[in-house]
Amino acid sequence: MIRKLITLCIFVFSAQHGLAATLEIEIIIKDHLFFPSVVEVPAGEKIKLRIINQDQTPEEFESYELNREKVIAGNKQTVIFIGPLQPGEYPFFGEFYPRTAQGSVIAK
Amino acid sequence: MFLSTVVLFLQEILEAALLISVLLVLTRVFNKAWANSLIVSSNWVIYGVICGSLLGWAYARATPTISEWFDYVGQDITNASIHFLGFAFLVALTWLMPMNPSATQSIKNRSACLIAMAALVVLSVMREGSEMILYMEGGLTRPENISSIISGGVIGTGIGISCGIFLFYSLISLSTQWSLRISILLLALISGSMTSQIVMLLSQADWAPFTPIAWNSSNLIAETSLSGRLLYALIGYESTPSVLQVCAYIAGLVGVISGPLFRHAWFHFESTPTQPTV
Repeated sequence: MIRKLITLCIFVFSAQHGLAATLEIEIIIKDHLFFPSVVEVPAGEKIKLRIINQDQTPEEFESYELNREKVIAGNKQTVIFIGPLQPGEYPFFGEFYPRTAQGSVIAK
Repeated sequence: MFLSTVVLFLQEILEAALLISVLLVLTRVFNKAWANSLIVSSNWVIYGVICGSLLGWAYARATPTISEWFDYVGQDITNASIHFLGFAFLVALTWLMPMNPSATQSIKNRSACLIAMAALVVLSVMREGSEMILYMEGGLTRPENISSIISGGVIGTGIGISCGIFLFYSLISLSTQWSLRISILLLALISGSMTSQIVMLLSQADWAPFTPIAWNSSNLIAETSLSGRLLYALIGYESTPSVLQVCAYIAGLVGVISGPLFRHAWFHFESTPTQPTV
């Protein structure tokens, strides 16, 4: 019984993850700036943001509008899932270097 | 650099300082409940902070490795687990808290309460500390940043600790019953912000199902504003929480409030007990 349940869980979980390929978008952090700083994404879809920190120093990707917050160590990358989003602009910033590290996701 | 350091340190320190203040108030309340027969010193806070700082340092060291686990969402899963542990300790604490002056019960529960409180301090300091350590390490690599990071850090830490001290003295100036009530309420809010954080972390790792935004109060209180940031540190305020986050928040609140409510501490907490036997 338990084994059946586990199999079912794995099946549902993998079906959820496997069926539709999630759109992946890369954002690079360099010299405490985001490249690109404006990211256009389709509204109503789940998006996988891959953030690659090319600086030696860690940065924290933060967005109040997207409800996201994550530290990225120096010279490392990370993955943050966002959406499905309503159409609109969602600013984000680097909490460790907020003066320069600014950007936004635009859902259309 | 200076201002962002102040803000970052203040935010992190404030979260830990508020929790520690409430737990210290509870220690005092417990001592009254136990009629001073089983005085609990507040040393556990010091051990908790030291232990938490060491673990925070280790966690900061391990962050680059941990972040690569589970296809780059390891950090979210680890942080969610830390929050979950914190939530579990909060629930345990409020269910085990001494509610009456019976000595036998107190002795049994005293160590459990102390362990829960110390563990909460360790987890909180570890999480907030590791972020500050990562920030400082990055910032201090540039010599021109050193003075602004150190002065910003000292000021941010100073304000954060002052807020904690202010809360502590405000709470202990109340009657035992009211300081207990408000402490439990604050713990419940801290618990709610933990459980809602768990959902946020799991959602950004795509381990939690998507739910739409429950409301948008950014016009009312923006999270970027000072009041928004304070409310975030205090009660985990979010201007655009998802439905699942709101549910988790309520579950977090209920988990902490229900213990004292069921055990009637809310209504009749006695601070002048009969003679304890030990």
